[in-house]
Amino acid sequence: MLNDYISDLIQSGAEHTELRAQQTETVKVALIGGNLVANQSGKAGGVCARVCKNGSWGFASCADYDEDSVKDVLREAKENAAFLDGKLKKGKPALPQTKPFFTAPPAPSPVLPRKVYVDFATELDAYIEKTYPRLSGRKIIVTSEKFEKLLCASNGTKAHTVAPRVYVYVFLSADTKDGDTLELFDVLNGGSGYFPDYFTDPLLYAEKIEKLYRKLIDKTEGVFPEAGVADVILAPSLAGMLAHEAVGHTVEADLVLGGSVAGHMLGKQVASPLVSMVDFAHTAFGSPCPLPVFVDDEGTECEDEILIKDGILVGYMNNLESAKHFGMTPRGNARAFAFNDEPLIRMRNTAVLPGTDKLDDMIASIDDGYYLISTGNGQADTTGEFMFGVTMGYEIKNGKLGKALRDTTISGVAFEMLKTVTMLSDEPEWDSSGYCGKKQPMPVGLGGPAVKCKVTIGGQ
Amino acid sequence: MKDLKEIASYVLEALKKAGADDAQCTVAHGKAKELNIDGGEISLMRTVIDNSISMKAIKDGKKGNASINQFDEASIDAAARECIEAADAAVVDDAVCIADFTRNAEFDVGSKSGDMDLFFDRITEFLDTVRADYPKVILEQVFSEYSETDTAVMNTNGVYHRLREAGYTLSTMFSSHEGEKATSFNGYEAQFGDLSRPLIDLGMQRALFDQSQKELDASPIGEKFTGKILVAPTYLGELIDTALYKFAGSTELINGTAAWKDKLGQKVADEKLTVSIIPLDERICGGERITDDGYVSENFDMIENGVLKDFGLSEYAARKTGNKRAPSTSSCMAVAPGDKTLDEIIKGIDRALLVCRFSGGEPAVNGDFSGVAKNSFLIENGEIKHAVTETMISGNLEKMLNNVVAISKDTVEDGASVLPYVLFDGITVS
Repeated sequence: MLNDYISDLIQSGAEHTELRAQQTETVKVALIGGNLVANQSGKAGGVCARVCKNGSWGFASCADYDEDSVKDVLREAKENAAFLDGKLKKGKPALPQTKPFFTAPPAPSPVLPRKVYVDFATELDAYIEKTYPRLSGRKIIVTSEKFEKLLCASNGTKAHTVAPRVYVYVFLSADTKDGDTLELFDVLNGGSGYFPDYFTDPLLYAEKIEKLYRKLIDKTEGVFPEAGVADVILAPSLAGMLAHEAVGHTVEADLVLGGSVAGHMLGKQVASPLVSMVDFAHTAFGSPCPLPVFVDDEGTECEDEILIKDGILVGYMNNLESAKHFGMTPRGNARAFAFNDEPLIRMRNTAVLPGTDKLDDMIASIDDGYYLISTGNGQADTTGEFMFGVTMGYEIKNGKLGKALRDTTISGVAFEMLKTVTMLSDEPEWDSSGYCGKKQPMPVGLGGPAVKCKVTIGGQ
Repeated sequence: MKDLKEIASYVLEALKKAGADDAQCTVAHGKAKELNIDGGEISLMRTVIDNSISMKAIKDGKKGNASINQFDEASIDAAARECIEAADAAVVDDAVCIADFTRNAEFDVGSKSGDMDLFFDRITEFLDTVRADYPKVILEQVFSEYSETDTAVMNTNGVYHRLREAGYTLSTMFSSHEGEKATSFNGYEAQFGDLSRPLIDLGMQRALFDQSQKELDASPIGEKFTGKILVAPTYLGELIDTALYKFAGSTELINGTAAWKDKLGQKVADEKLTVSIIPLDERICGGERITDDGYVSENFDMIENGVLKDFGLSEYAARKTGNKRAPSTSSCMAVAPGDKTLDEIIKGIDRALLVCRFSGGEPAVNGDFSGVAKNSFLIENGEIKHAVTETMISGNLEKMLNNVVAISKDTVEDGASVLPYVLFDGITVS
């Protein structure tokens, strides 16, 4: 665990200051076609300081973490802030002081032998190879990460947190009758916690692998969708991506200041009245979020941020500086990834709130459209335009599922598309297995129910 | 701090002591200064000092890897034990190896500079120029960095390489605004060796600001068509890189799913297409000198006149698949220019989409792709007409590479690539 060399050096006062010691530990095991191509661990840590002087920010970090290095980075961060302040002379007033947040020291983390990860992956791989001879390729990826942070800020916050997460990904490939190779992947399980919390016996996941395999075989007999605007049901994983990419990024206050379309829309109807959206801090729907965050890296206690309420845009996600600019309350969205990263405005666990409809009724309500189940990636634009890669889906014909779809892409403009939402299922689901990218990567949770709406879909 | 050579020697000794038969390490120390712009204003100055050690051990035919960023002996000893624990947990694999000794090399790339005042002045000049020449452009986020890195690579076969490099990066994200009208954001990144010229003149930066302002008058593409797209250098590198990764990359070859797995020496693309990896080219700033496997890098052709000449494999993937290791693991790419100017190509087009950025799902293993053409323009009757809104393109990458209509004589250099405009046919635009 990290020793405390920082709390004695932080001073409360007019200059907002943060000191953060951090250690990130990773394990990655990957099997491709039965070959162990990755079997690695990583430890990267150090200390950083960030200082605000009259509106100009200075940051410094170094890999060494002891009393001297902490003093060095604090001095360098102050010098960087002073350098910019001397040149820019912004003369901005002090940032708001949020109430301090304290944590108890975290419990020691379990140490797991590497053999546990490798054996799980190789046994799972052997089972898949033996059970599904039709497959033309297979990949198993096991990842484990642990972020330990010791943060002291000039508002008085002193927080020592440990955030572990672990996932197993399975990719299967099969050939179509024309010889094209198609691939489908799924996250076997995972989330906040350690490997044994989710994974013991690989055979416990036989049913999930079977479902993935069946979908892949459906896909090898699949068709391309007709390019154009279509009625669709987005499964919860796509609704989560919608919440994150299509809306979430446009309401990050730094992107609003950079010209995001949401800058003109606060207080306006941007979605169907059925739609509400929240960036949850640590608890949602009565349970812990997939990646709970209790304090951000500026020292602000995390609270939920309501973004859309009954179709009306009501909030942005802020750091201390943007909250002051917009006259809003900072709710803990300033997050940094590595020890040498400064906090940026980031989402935590962003979700569309569920409705009252049943998924079967939603599918039955579409004569000609698509049920889109899985996504691999997504991107957003500050105009609200978004796109998601769709890796699995089915046609809907006369209210019933039809042929499977080949890989495709959907796109739309968030605040137009959200007005086409007519049904929301009553069962939200979370996904937390990916990273959000914005200068730095960041683990985030995204969730929502199934959503009936109109989007543009790519074809051939 | 000890010299990196001394640290690298200690790492190898620690790995041997922990039980390694063969061992290799890369030890690096770096310092970077960075200026950030947010919402058109200089906001933050950063100083980042970091270390890294990546180590590889082979024991009884099994491989383990570990990495740390601490140089003290206790941390190195602990990481070495973890690396051996990983090897012990692995399975025997004949393809695991460390680099053979061929020759050792030392490189000094780029010139060191620490002039933060001049760096600041160049950034300020950049901001002022954007405000004056492109008044509708907002710089959403800009990162500019000067970095110095010292790297040592050493292994138990006697390999010892040393690389000292320095250079600058400018990364911009911007969009244009007029009242409540706004364009899609666009981004650009360029590498450069010194501060001798204004940053606005790097690569395509000016052209992209100009295009961004024109995108305020974007309109729909109109009727769906299947036909030509003119791919700009800003998208071409990503497109070809994706195709090479999918069809000939290490992962898909090991998995047995690479479309070109049996096509070495055969035609895989239009004969007009030559793709080279050029880390040592003088137009590349700070290109790779030592491969990820620990060999001295060399330029090479991946596709020559449409024929696949090299898979671009790591040494492990090469041994696993019975092929040869690539002479470089760099991504610095050049596509050979054609014989017509960009203007001549555009004048010869009846209808096409000029695609400057692509936002799409990851292409399927077989190359099927679809996605949104961002920051893109309609070309009709030999002229660029207008920017387009919400336009989707779809096709198959393998077929696309075999459907090259023309390649421009003009190329764009961004310090990491040298790329022309390429006109492809057979793409669905909707």
